[in-house]
Amino acid sequence: MRYIKLPAENFEEFFNSLKAWGKVYGPVKRGNIHSFQEVQRVKEMDLYYNRTMLPPKKFFVRPRDVILRLKNGKWENGVKNEPFVIFGVHSCDIHGLKILDKVYLDEPADPYYKARRESALIIGISCTPDEYCFCKSLGTDFAMDGFDLFLHELPDGWLVRVGSVRGHEIAWENEELFEEVTEEDLANFRAFEEKRAKSFKRKLSKEGLADMLDLAYNSPVWKKYADICLACGNCNMVCPTCRCYEVCDKWLNAYEAVRERRYDSCFMESHGLVAGGHNFRPTRLDRFRHRYYCKSYFDPSAGFNCVGCGRCDEFCPAGIEHVKVLDEVRGSLQ
Amino acid sequence: MSENPYVSYDARILEVKDLTPREKLFTLRFVDPEVGERFDFRPGQFVIVDLRGFGEFPISICSSPTRRGYFQLCIRKVGRMTKFIHRMKEGEVVGIRGPYGNGFPMEKMEGSNLILVAGGLGMAPLRSVLWYAIDSGKYEHIWLFYGTKAYEDILFRDEVVHLLKHGEAMNCSVKLAYEVESPSCIYLEKGFSDRVCKGVVTDLFRGEEFDVNNTYALICGPPVMYKFVIRELSDRKLSPGRIYMTLERRMRCGIGKCGHCIVGTSTSIKYVCRDGPVFTYWDALSTRGLI
Ligand SMILES: Cc1cc2nc3c(=O)[nH]c(=O)nc-3n(C[C@H](O)[C@H](O)[C@H](O)COP(=O)(O)OP(=O)(O)OC[C@H]3O[C@@H](n4cnc5c(N)ncnc54)[C@H](O)[C@@H]3O)c2cc1C
Ligand code: SF4
Ligand code: SF4
Ligand code: FES
Repeated sequence: MRYIKLPAENFEEFFNSLKAWGKVYGPVKRGNIHSFQEVQRVKEMDLYYNRTMLPPKKFFVRPRDVILRLKNGKWENGVKNEPFVIFGVHSCDIHGLKILDKVYLDEPADPYYKARRESALIIGISCTPDEYCFCKSLGTDFAMDGFDLFLHELPDGWLVRVGSVRGHEIAWENEELFEEVTEEDLANFRAFEEKRAKSFKRKLSKEGLADMLDLAYNSPVWKKYADICLACGNCNMVCPTCRCYEVCDKWLNAYEAVRERRYDSCFMESHGLVAGGHNFRPTRLDRFRHRYYCKSYFDPSAGFNCVGCGRCDEFCPAGIEHVKVLDEVRGSLQ
Repeated sequence: MSENPYVSYDARILEVKDLTPREKLFTLRFVDPEVGERFDFRPGQFVIVDLRGFGEFPISICSSPTRRGYFQLCIRKVGRMTKFIHRMKEGEVVGIRGPYGNGFPMEKMEGSNLILVAGGLGMAPLRSVLWYAIDSGKYEHIWLFYGTKAYEDILFRDEVVHLLKHGEAMNCSVKLAYEVESPSCIYLEKGFSDRVCKGVVTDLFRGEEFDVNNTYALICGPPVMYKFVIRELSDRKLSPGRIYMTLERRMRCGIGKCGHCIVGTSTSIKYVCRDGPVFTYWDALSTRGLI
């Protein structure tokens, strides 16, 4: 990794220089909720946020997305590359994007996702956990790749890790804004990271988790929570790794139609429904359990399908807590 | 040529044939000969039919790759999209993308006996295997056990009757079970008393023995059928690795993106569209929710 320093007084100028790349999106506070919005100036952002409601997946897998346009009986491709910057992405969300990459860039690659991914500049930022975060348990509290630049707060500026050639080029073009890293900066960086590591309150015990959960398939705990669950699908929408989509064709006029994708949720009854009314996950219990299994699936090359961002807990109207459910299911085995 | 995997290619309907009151056989050919040339598939694979502006749906290819220049889809009218295509006529064009899925491992099974067990519409993908196996002549012996509701519901009735009469010359034995009695069925039963009977598909196993070390079973039918057929096969000690079945799930993308066809638990997740639709019974034992 290459490390450079961005002194606090150059921060704004650095931020402004990013606009040369494309539109810049950053974390903005509206009411009690943070979300990634287009920003023009540093002061519009709240860089000390915990989590946005929708993760950065919204830029790559959009909630609603017209993928094809029908003209004269032929589909026209809607793949576009428009460079943009996502400023202030947390480590867990960078890991979330890496999980989406595995799915969407795997051959045959999804051309819409791929084009957007290639045109996005990802600037990471360090954060402090709150009561919902459990990324440390999953090893997603620190990103080693998947970003172009990553900013770590120092008392007098930012320690910048350069994670890609593109990140390197951006730093190069703004050479005058950066300094060499000093011994003192490194000591501060270490102190911050150590303090951060100690401040996690929630922990997921993942030892043997995949097997334990599978063995507990018939645990009454699934039912207990499925009974409380409202099946609203919020947890799917806000999850940085949930990615199911539904497809729908719509006529705009007598000659033109569009094919649209939109987020789908495995909590919906229609998710596993096939022709003739047969449903492969007919009950709420089936669907509730399915989501937990999907999130806790362990892929030897990519890890779990959950990055511990805590969104599903914070935005669940029924107050269902991910780690608690898993702990209880595992506990019910004895 | 489009690089976009979601864009379908034009295919012209060469022929539409009524198979039963509910099912029609569509014979198609790609409009662009180059696309047709590249379109190669194995039995058990499926395509996504694109009724542009109305939607898409997955359908198994029911013809054999040994017969080139066209491909066939047997489509049951069950809802919106399938009703739409049932109204289409010869000469009209639909979109096709694929082929998708893994298909049956035909090469691996060469030299062995094949037992095809079909229930209802499950006959469609297995017909591709049947003709592939007969045309290629690379298999020891082929059995077709076919369970159908009534005489009117027998898919590819001409072919089935033809094989009942002349199958042995092609190394192929056909057995048929029907549930609803009718004069036609009774007539068939009289003609082939040892091979046609009233009952369900598992009744066809009665009295049958086979060399479990040199046999593969290939099953396709409604979800309820698998359990019973697998019991028959397991009773005869056919290894779970030798039992293949093709499964159905809701599908949207067909290429492992949309998440609809995901099954399994924390230790094993499968995408039916990409890892299947053909699975072994061993896969089902190690992946919950597969059957
Ligand atoms: C791998 C595979 C192979 C198949 N092979 C055949 C075949 O050879 N012959 C045949 O007749 N049928 C086959 N089917 C089933 C066929 O896809 C459905 O009958 C068809 O999608 C129903 O569409 P509909 O709009 O007419 O039905 P509706 O009941 O109106 O469908 C409602 C909605 O659910 C969707 N839907 C319903 N069932 C399915 C399904 N199984 N997969 C995906 N989406 C679904 C439809 O697209 C539609 O949007 C196969 C399914 C799969 C998964
Ligand atoms: S399951 Fe919950 S905690 Fe895990 S990544 Fe999804 S939203 Fe975040
Ligand atoms: S957010 Fe909570 S209530 Fe809503 S579907 Fe998810 S678990 Fe159920
Ligand atoms: S059909 Fe979309 S993932 Fe399988």
